[in-house]
Amino acid sequence: MSNKRRYGEFGACIRNRAMLYIELVRMEFVNNLAYRSSYFTGIFNYTIQIGAYFFLWDAIYTGRKMLGGLNKEEMITYVIVAWVVRSFYFSNLDRRVAVEIRDGKIALELIRPYNYQMVKYARAFGEAIFRVLFFALPAGIAIYLIRPFGLPSWQNGLIFLLTLAGSFMINAQISMIAGFLAFFTQSTSGIYRAKRVIMDLFSGLLLPISFYPAWARDIIKFFPFQAVSYMPNLIYLGKLSGLAALKVVFLQLFWIAVLGLVAIWFWRFAVKHVVIQGG
Amino acid sequence: MKFMGGLQRSVSRHLYIFFYYTAQYIKTKMAYRADFFIYVFSDLLLQSVNLIFILVVFTKVPAIKGWTRDQVLFIYGFFLIPFAVYSGFLNHLFDVPEKYVLEGELDRILVRPLNAWYQVVVETMNPELLVGAPAGVAIMIYSGRAMGLVWTWWDIPLAIVLIFGATMIYAGVYTFLASLGFWTEGNIGLMPMVYNLSNYGRYPMTVYRGPVRFILTWVLPFAFVGFYPSTLLMHRYDFAWYALLTPVIGIISFTIAYRVWVAGIRRYRGTGS
Amino acid sequence: MALIEARGLTKEFRIFHRREGVAGAFRDLFLRDYKTLTAVNGIDFLVDEGEMVGYIGANGAGKSTTIKMLTGILVPTGGTVVVDGYVPYKDREIYTKRIGVVFGQRSQLWWDIAVIESFKLLRRIYDVPQQEFERRLKMIDDILELSGFLHLPVRKLSLGQRMRCDLAAALLHNPAILFLDEPTIGLDVLAKAKIREFLKEINTEYKTTVILTTHDLGDIEALCPRVAIIDKGKMLYDGSVEGLYSQWGHDKLDDIVKRIYQGQRPQLGFSGTGGDDLVQ
Repeated sequence: MSNKRRYGEFGACIRNRAMLYIELVRMEFVNNLAYRSSYFTGIFNYTIQIGAYFFLWDAIYTGRKMLGGLNKEEMITYVIVAWVVRSFYFSNLDRRVAVEIRDGKIALELIRPYNYQMVKYARAFGEAIFRVLFFALPAGIAIYLIRPFGLPSWQNGLIFLLTLAGSFMINAQISMIAGFLAFFTQSTSGIYRAKRVIMDLFSGLLLPISFYPAWARDIIKFFPFQAVSYMPNLIYLGKLSGLAALKVVFLQLFWIAVLGLVAIWFWRFAVKHVVIQGG
Repeated sequence: MKFMGGLQRSVSRHLYIFFYYTAQYIKTKMAYRADFFIYVFSDLLLQSVNLIFILVVFTKVPAIKGWTRDQVLFIYGFFLIPFAVYSGFLNHLFDVPEKYVLEGELDRILVRPLNAWYQVVVETMNPELLVGAPAGVAIMIYSGRAMGLVWTWWDIPLAIVLIFGATMIYAGVYTFLASLGFWTEGNIGLMPMVYNLSNYGRYPMTVYRGPVRFILTWVLPFAFVGFYPSTLLMHRYDFAWYALLTPVIGIISFTIAYRVWVAGIRRYRGTGS
Repeated sequence: MALIEARGLTKEFRIFHRREGVAGAFRDLFLRDYKTLTAVNGIDFLVDEGEMVGYIGANGAGKSTTIKMLTGILVPTGGTVVVDGYVPYKDREIYTKRIGVVFGQRSQLWWDIAVIESFKLLRRIYDVPQQEFERRLKMIDDILELSGFLHLPVRKLSLGQRMRCDLAAALLHNPAILFLDEPTIGLDVLAKAKIREFLKEINTEYKTTVILTTHDLGDIEALCPRVAIIDKGKMLYDGSVEGLYSQWGHDKLDDIVKRIYQGQRPQLGFSGTGGDDLVQ
């Protein structure tokens, strides 16, 4: 067999795999389309959440120009962008993985000729695309019409969009690892809630990280969470631009690699666990 | 006499059934002890997010629209108490549209000689979530002390009445939403929305603009599950009349909701769904 | 007076076409597109104390609806129903103490707790005195042999074991009437035989009236001298099994019922005796 031919086969194999994952993305997208009605109530939900923080920050800023390096207008933009973007990267991956582990369905996944994690990511991505089109974009536009908020410069806007891909991936990987924790406890809702608390607080969704005391910021620095929401938001606001903004992209890539390794390690453990204990 | 005897028997039967359910519940949960504690702990953690939010924000500002850190903490602490009762006993009323109406579990309830609402509540309760209540009391005591509050004897009966009223508001709102399930025959996703809205009740109403404040006071009265009653307990009297309305609003909303529930049951028994 | 007395019992359902989406759901709240479906259409049904009646009909014929009206779950659209002196849907909370109900498709027991704990809870719900409870439980256990799994949670039981427990649960408070909706569904031959034996025993020893719906005509042959057949909401036949044989000429019950479901009628005099000949 010539080397050329071998590479050809390899290429075909990669292509086939890619087609599988694209198909999964498409499938999940269409799937969500069928249940789109639940998204309308979801939009109200986000409106209520954003509304709560809008009123709060509005009140907090009365009589003050700057807090945590942001003025009132920037803060309100921060809150809106943070929540709208969350609707994109958010996924139920942790719940899905945890329930599959708890109910022993993970054993069935071992007999299928695909990469379990990739399949999960592909489906989550399909859902994310759906959310952008039917949720984040309309919600963002609607809010803009009701109460205009700041828009980024085009350079920052582009880097911001780039970092959103990173936000999605890091959040998905954290969720995957959280899901794998179901090997250690039956309480899937416990895992789910704990992850939610950590993400809400340390990703910068509820509070810009700059609001925390210095010691807390020093700890948060060593974790991937703030690369999900806080840093992309700063790029959007123009607080980080040029080289500093590109640094965020590389930081995200770094965390994707690290979390990827951790997730693989967990998966290996999972397989061993299933093989030995039958799930 | 005979009536009183019957009433006493009925009350003791309901109480017994409640404790029996509780005992069985604890027994099944204790089979997975570690998971149970993780669940309870994670719930407290979830509640603490708002606490952390308040604490962090007040490191940057001394007051929000005239409300100091300790006052906001006090409101938050009070909010936790009726909220704990709601989480423990009323949260799963959101199962009614799907599980009880659509899937017909209500048939099973209706062939038993016991009030249907009561059966649904005791069947779906998570009494361990009451742990939020002592946490709330602790926060109230801490923040009360920090603001130099001098307690008087009538604070305690007053607190009980106010907590009762606030709990009745939860019971009313969620019973009403659950009862809509008899007409919609399935979930239309209102519950999470209302849940998020109820969280507005843990901040001073002065934070919100006119229409929002109006809705939270007179339409979905979540201003009464935290803010209004707690101002009275911290001896701030600018909202005293609203605070005193808490039990009234509670009784009215639960009465209305329970009537809707009864009408819903009647409808269910008309359609069988 | 008969124990169960239903006259002209009618149940109409209004079924509606559901619109799509949230907007549709909101519109459905106010304005609905209805069709009327008559599930039970003016049936008379009289049962005396101590009778054992098999109630059969094709899927969707109106069996379950009738049972639900007799047990107080559903309110009839028309006609009257009095059971044991109560109007089931009006006196639900008192009336249900007098009846036991088993839904073959749905367990009445608590999924995660031991069977015996379910029973103890039911004792309280039905207000059964402790001694009476122990006596009943022992009697039931003697025939159904529950003791082997009384301490297991329901989710760990086999279908047959679960059904035996459900039966026991429905009988702990010594009801005057036992309603069984497909009690033998999905059970193996042995489990079926045990349940039939038990029902017979309960009926002869305690004069418990039994109304059972089933798709297994073996249940009828083994247990019920009287059979009621409902089709498209109408009572087609109500009388003795013997009467059914003689009307159709001697045949197998399976065949007779199959023909009735297919819409065939016997050559002469198929009117159904209306049960009145069995009732004083």
